[in-house]
Amino acid sequence: MSAANRLIEVKNICKNYALGEIQVPALREVSLVINPGDFLVITGRNGSGKSTLLRQLGLLDKPDTGEIFLANQPTTKMNELERSRLRLLKLGYIFQEYALIAELSALENVMLPAMMLEKTKICQKRALETLAKVGLEKKARNLPRQLSGGEQQKVAIARALINDPMILFADEPTANLDSVAAKDILNIFKKLNSEKHTVVMITHEPEETKYANRLVKLADGKIV
Amino acid sequence: MRGEGKIPFFLTARYLLHGNKWTLGLIIFLMAVAFVNLIFVASLFNGIIDNSNKQIINTYTGHVFITPAEGQDFLDHTDILLPQIENIPGVKAASAQMLVSASLKYKNIKGNWQILAIDPQLEKQVTNVSEKMLAGEYLAQDDLDKIIVGRQIAGGPDVEMNAFSFKGAQVGEKVVLAFDGIQKEFTIKGIFYTKFLDTDQRAFITAQALEALAPSLKSKATSVVIRAQKTGEEAGIVQALKVQNIAGQYLTWEDAAGLMSSVTTSFLSINFIMSFVAVLIAAVTIFIVIYIDISSKRQQIGILRAIGIRPYLIRATYVLQTLIYSVSGVALGLAIFFGGVAPYFKAHPFELPIGDSVLMVEALDINIRILAIIVVAVLSGLIPAFMITRIKILDAIWGK
Repeated sequence: MSAANRLIEVKNICKNYALGEIQVPALREVSLVINPGDFLVITGRNGSGKSTLLRQLGLLDKPDTGEIFLANQPTTKMNELERSRLRLLKLGYIFQEYALIAELSALENVMLPAMMLEKTKICQKRALETLAKVGLEKKARNLPRQLSGGEQQKVAIARALINDPMILFADEPTANLDSVAAKDILNIFKKLNSEKHTVVMITHEPEETKYANRLVKLADGKIV
Repeated sequence: MRGEGKIPFFLTARYLLHGNKWTLGLIIFLMAVAFVNLIFVASLFNGIIDNSNKQIINTYTGHVFITPAEGQDFLDHTDILLPQIENIPGVKAASAQMLVSASLKYKNIKGNWQILAIDPQLEKQVTNVSEKMLAGEYLAQDDLDKIIVGRQIAGGPDVEMNAFSFKGAQVGEKVVLAFDGIQKEFTIKGIFYTKFLDTDQRAFITAQALEALAPSLKSKATSVVIRAQKTGEEAGIVQALKVQNIAGQYLTWEDAAGLMSSVTTSFLSINFIMSFVAVLIAAVTIFIVIYIDISSKRQQIGILRAIGIRPYLIRATYVLQTLIYSVSGVALGLAIFFGGVAPYFKAHPFELPIGDSVLMVEALDINIRILAIIVVAVLSGLIPAFMITRIKILDAIWGK
């Protein structure tokens, strides 16, 4: 894959967290390339730095040093408004705890990012289509509290997909789900990847790595 | 971006529709209580000041008050002076009063009070003492041996100045008026109770009765009380008196109010200070409540930022919410005040030595306080929302 076609290129990023007066390294000189169509799974023990890495990739946080290129654009020097725009248009992020807005229905949660770009009616139509992709169109009017964990995670996936992002990030999306719901979610990711969506997922469940076409293992903040 | 302006309205509508109704209700109720407190303090003092002003005008000085020129004891030729004054535009009526240097004796109690000789018909047109009879009747034009006394002179067990009164004189009983070496017995025809302490320490006889005792005082007065057609015309009347060169010193009711004037000034200062403190307390309370409400939504704000909603739209959402809280709180507060508080105190006024005071609120006072509540609420929404949209997204989501 030529450099021009790379979706994300991570160059020597370091991230430290302050623990009182002590700086604890979470990422040490990590470099990585993500190409279109990848289903990249990042694994590692607790505290290995995988969630920290995903947050840097998803532009939710900034590395202390190093650079992250998104479609060849350096991102670390961008201001919050530019990063916000990239998160809205180019990236989809799925949190472990679903992170839905409790007062919005499934449909409204999904259509919210699209409302930044389109008229409400168009957003509603697209949100319903996206919910259908994850098999949840019949529960479009339900509030998050009226949905199971698996269903909430499907809503979160639909929300991440609504603006047709170039890459989906999923931070341990099955951690809070039973095995049936977890399999269901993983199959959705597999299907999305087969439809040319690039997926980057974190897991510490060894059996979930089989869904990946690329595997990255982190230990002590380094790729091993 | 196209259409992003609708995001705050969309989110606010959903938060109000699906959010915690108890929290919403409590916040609006708190705003309403803070607002009622703000109006109540101002309206209480406005009511006291307005009542005090009305009592001075209606029972004591009229709108304009003429006293003899410096070095003179009397205003002369009141029979010519009064029609002249009544012809001044804006004057409704004028009445001459003669302050009698006399003492009153009832049984073994003797004392000095303000005893005024008046023309009852004219006096009825300038003061409302005739409408405030507690017992008996007001003076008639030809009463030569009748006197009406204020409640504070008549006295009684529940009278404020009982110690310095006749301690229970009744209508029909006799009092002796001692004046200029002459003593004359008068029958108490009536006892009035204006609830204005200074007036209720006065007694009135007719001008005819005084003339019978001292013929030389005919057509003389120690003061002329002028009733204007409406309050606010005093300056014009004083100017006209000057132009017509009417002898005497002209005082408006405000000039003549004396002690009450300083009390009113003090009330205005107290009103200002208490209103300021009430605004401060309301501001702090509303700020704390809104701050806690919005701070509890840090995770939500973090999520909105994470999915790419611009920070200014998030801030606008919470400002819009607090705007709705405050407008609803003000509306509820107005309903509570005008539907409950004001009617209650109209039916059960505050009983003060200057009269019964009800709550009185002016449009300007209400508008200032509405503005104060809304500005405080909007700032209370904006500041925490601004702070939360500036912290790291992950810290917001994790509630750090």
